[in-house]
Amino acid sequence: MSRRNIADQLEGVERIREETRICRKYGIDYTVEKGRTMRLVNLLHPQALRLKVGTVIRETKSAATLRMAPVDGYLPPFQAGQYINLFVEIDGVRTSRPYSISSAPHQTGFYDITVRRVENGFVSDYLLDGVGPGDEFESSGPSGNFHYNPLFHEKHMVCLAGGSGVTPFMSMIREVTDRGLDREITLLYGNRREDDIIFHSEMKDRASRFGNFVYRPVISEPSKTCSELTGFINADLIRSVLNDLGSKTFYICGPSQMYEFCIPELEKLGIPKNKVRREMFGQPQDITAEPGWPREVEASTEFKVSVRGGKTLRARAGESLLAALERAGVVVPSLCRCGECSMCRIKLVSGKVFQPRGVLLRQSDREFGYIHSCAAYPLSDLKIML
Amino acid sequence: MSGFDAIVIGAGNGGLTAAATLAKGGAKTLLLERHNVPGGCATSFCRGRFEFEVALHQLSGMGDASFPGPLRSVLHGLDVLDRVEFVSMKNLYRLTIPGRLDITLPADRNGTVEALTKRFPAEGKRIKEFYDLVYEFFNQLISVIYMRDPEASSEKYPLYFKYAMASSQDLLDEYFNDPLLKASVAAYWGYMGLPPRYLSFSDLAALIFAYIEFKPYHIRNGSQALSNALIEKFTENGGEVRFNCGAQKIELENGAVSAVVTERGERIPTGCVVANISTPVLYNELIGVEESPKEKYEEMSGRTIGPSSFTLYIGMDCTPAELGIEETTNFIGAHDDFNHAFSQLRDIDEPAMILVSCFNVSDPGASPEGTCQIAVVDLQYLEPWLSIPPSRYAEEKYRYAAKVLDLVERVFPGFRSHIEEIEISTPITHVRYLGHPGGAFYGFDQHIKDSRLINPPVQPISGLFHAGAWAAGGGFQPTLASGASTGRAALKHLGMRGR
Ligand SMILES: Cc1cc2nc3c(=O)[nH]c(=O)nc-3n(C[C@H](O)[C@H](O)[C@H](O)COP(=O)(O)OP(=O)(O)OC[C@H]3O[C@@H](n4cnc5c(N)ncnc54)[C@H](O)[C@@H]3O)c2cc1C
Ligand SMILES: Cc1cc2nc3c(=O)[nH]c(=O)nc-3n(C[C@H](O)[C@H](O)[C@H](O)COP(=O)(O)OP(=O)(O)OC[C@H]3O[C@@H](n4cnc5c(N)ncnc54)[C@H](O)[C@@H]3O)c2cc1C
Ligand code: FES
Repeated sequence: MSRRNIADQLEGVERIREETRICRKYGIDYTVEKGRTMRLVNLLHPQALRLKVGTVIRETKSAATLRMAPVDGYLPPFQAGQYINLFVEIDGVRTSRPYSISSAPHQTGFYDITVRRVENGFVSDYLLDGVGPGDEFESSGPSGNFHYNPLFHEKHMVCLAGGSGVTPFMSMIREVTDRGLDREITLLYGNRREDDIIFHSEMKDRASRFGNFVYRPVISEPSKTCSELTGFINADLIRSVLNDLGSKTFYICGPSQMYEFCIPELEKLGIPKNKVRREMFGQPQDITAEPGWPREVEASTEFKVSVRGGKTLRARAGESLLAALERAGVVVPSLCRCGECSMCRIKLVSGKVFQPRGVLLRQSDREFGYIHSCAAYPLSDLKIML
Repeated sequence: MSGFDAIVIGAGNGGLTAAATLAKGGAKTLLLERHNVPGGCATSFCRGRFEFEVALHQLSGMGDASFPGPLRSVLHGLDVLDRVEFVSMKNLYRLTIPGRLDITLPADRNGTVEALTKRFPAEGKRIKEFYDLVYEFFNQLISVIYMRDPEASSEKYPLYFKYAMASSQDLLDEYFNDPLLKASVAAYWGYMGLPPRYLSFSDLAALIFAYIEFKPYHIRNGSQALSNALIEKFTENGGEVRFNCGAQKIELENGAVSAVVTERGERIPTGCVVANISTPVLYNELIGVEESPKEKYEEMSGRTIGPSSFTLYIGMDCTPAELGIEETTNFIGAHDDFNHAFSQLRDIDEPAMILVSCFNVSDPGASPEGTCQIAVVDLQYLEPWLSIPPSRYAEEKYRYAAKVLDLVERVFPGFRSHIEEIEISTPITHVRYLGHPGGAFYGFDQHIKDSRLINPPVQPISGLFHAGAWAAGGGFQPTLASGASTGRAALKHLGMRGR
């Protein structure tokens, strides 16, 4: 019997076929589906944003806020604490850097990013010195997991910030205070000197006006007249500020030394692991100082990198593979630039790379030789596949 | 630009096995994937100390080396079995309806009958008869459909001819009285996304048969390990893969495939395309409405887009035992009316039926020692999510997630206090990552009228093939198998026989 004949003899098949006829008669015209859903999804997760600098606000000697409005008039929503990856072209090199949004989510007309100068920094120098109103940039949509999550975070958040690490907290503080949310924030904000403090007057002002926000700057190299807390944000200092350590979630954002210092301090206080959230580590300033770096390789050593079916380029051991590829004009998508999001994943066909701590690689990616190029440093000649 | 014998669009399960089959068969093949990793649904992502499995809960049709199932044969044929480790589960599932039912069914025919009989002693005889029917029916289906017995007839295979078009509800009602018994037997409806009323008995029987006979499996290091292994084999056999490179257009010449244009604007000549994407996108966008055959739209018009899901990926700071989790697969129903539960897939008020999988129970390596990885799935259609203004999306996600966690807490009290990481995905997330309308990872709804038993596939464009959930129905086994068989058909079209 042929398939068709078999189908024709199934019990009840005529009735079932009638259902098909009726469904088609009153059916759906799928031609109108074209692009519809993606348009709606793009309101939440646009592939890329075009942003235009409106104002530049000088915050301190070394930091400024770029207030950026959407070129096409629409900005997707974000959760306070998230970042965007900002693309720049400097001296013919297209690269990007992640910046936390410091404005509040309910401020839908613009995103603020607040940039602090990094010594010898490639992009921070450019953003602080070379950018003014009217300049346009491309960025990723808002991204990242460093935000309040009501499913398991406590309503009282204790924020430990260092330097430019205050930016995600500024967004959260503005949101919680402006919107009168039923939450509490205590901010401990470490800086070297008083005049390094970003957002100092706004923080003081909000702390004086809102009972659910406590602001305590901590200065490590205080002037004689300094009236703030001094030293580092350690266990004793945290205990002295908080009456009670229970029912609180701790958030840390700052330079990588800060995580190394603060996380053990929180452990000393007996704070459970699931009550501590940290923003990503940026790439280390000096990769050769990382634990596990092979002594014999110097940062300036150059290796040959060949891209399968593409260019061959030279890369320095002390620079991430992603940066070397960008410098050579090879496009690799990126987002976090910290080894965590996997956007810059490529395959290492042969050769050896150094991968610092904190890289989040899938188990099977590790086994099959994939790497995150933003957090991989060449230790030999390499062959890679994009 | 020199061309390829074949271009595969999309590196989901179906695209991966199609590409691997083509390359192994000697075809010069290019695989285009829009995302930066292979797998489509079959992938994972990292948060903190955890790596979360996106889609795979229970792999069906595997079997072990001594008693291989059909999926094992497919993967064996693609030479990937030695690169991936499979972990079997001893039980099918635990089903709990708080306060009313709590039953665990072993992945063993007698064991399942015994467990059900113990809980529903009055219906013991009918329970055994029902599982006898499932087995006899499905064996007849195998002879007629897979073995293609040329002498198939209603006299020779009476059960097949009688029940192939029946609904699961028909049979449940015919055999059982207690609604809780019906619920216990049909809990797998969620894996098809249709309630017993709409789910064909053939599909329910296939699920029960495949999971009992070949045991449910998980993959060590998650489904990404299989996706990576398939890519590895594909490239070893000379295949070329491009990530971050979507296909934008399929060009036709005289009604036959002639080239693919990528999102980067590159035109690549080929006479053969295997599409692993949704049917509406394939015809609306890649082929174009004007060029597409009318009969395809006619066929689509009678079909509806299937569900997606609301999923919580959770890293816990304790072991499964500390939470009282003893099974890998736990279904929790808010009530026993699955037909009503199905209506609730279109609203985001109260979850009706959820799946709580804890991979560490069968695979202790699923997360670091002293922790466990949990995925909670609640099937959901896209529509209610589209009506939420973007500015309220995050709040709605948290609101609904809290309700889902409340339901989990009813069976595993204290659950929430152990959460260390959590990520929420919604139907919108699936649209974003897969590009499918509705975020429908099972493809179209698989109503009885849509059964492939009575609807032979129509493929009116020469050189165009379609693999994956939208062509063959959702799930790992069907999509992986459909890619392999589509790949073979494409090789035949190219005049290559394969090795
Ligand atoms: C999620 C996230 C949010 C962030 N938010 C903010 C924010 O709100 N505000 C802010 O100011 N910053 C923020 N950052 C940091 C920001 O992304 C940049 O890293 C910072 O601006 C420095 O970039 P740069 O190009 O100026 O410095 P880079 O040129 O990248 O240099 C950074 C440091 O590395 C050293 N370095 C650079 N290249 C090399 C090399 N090849 N070998 C050895 N050392 C090298 C430099 O000497 C310098 O000390 C954030 C980072 C992350 C991950
Ligand atoms: C939460 C969840 C739980 C599930 N649980 C199970 C389970 O326990 N058991 C089971 O068997 N099944 C389960 N499934 C279903 C199963 O995962 C899917 O049915 C199956 O993986 C779909 O495979 P596919 O071949 O259709 O491809 P898909 O996974 O849909 O992949 C399609 C691919 O095509 C790519 N693409 C789209 N458009 C383009 C373009 N224009 N150019 C290039 N590439 C493109 C996409 O990026 C994607 O990679 C689950 C799914 C989910 C999401
Ligand atoms: S860009 Fe996120 S891991 Fe490299």
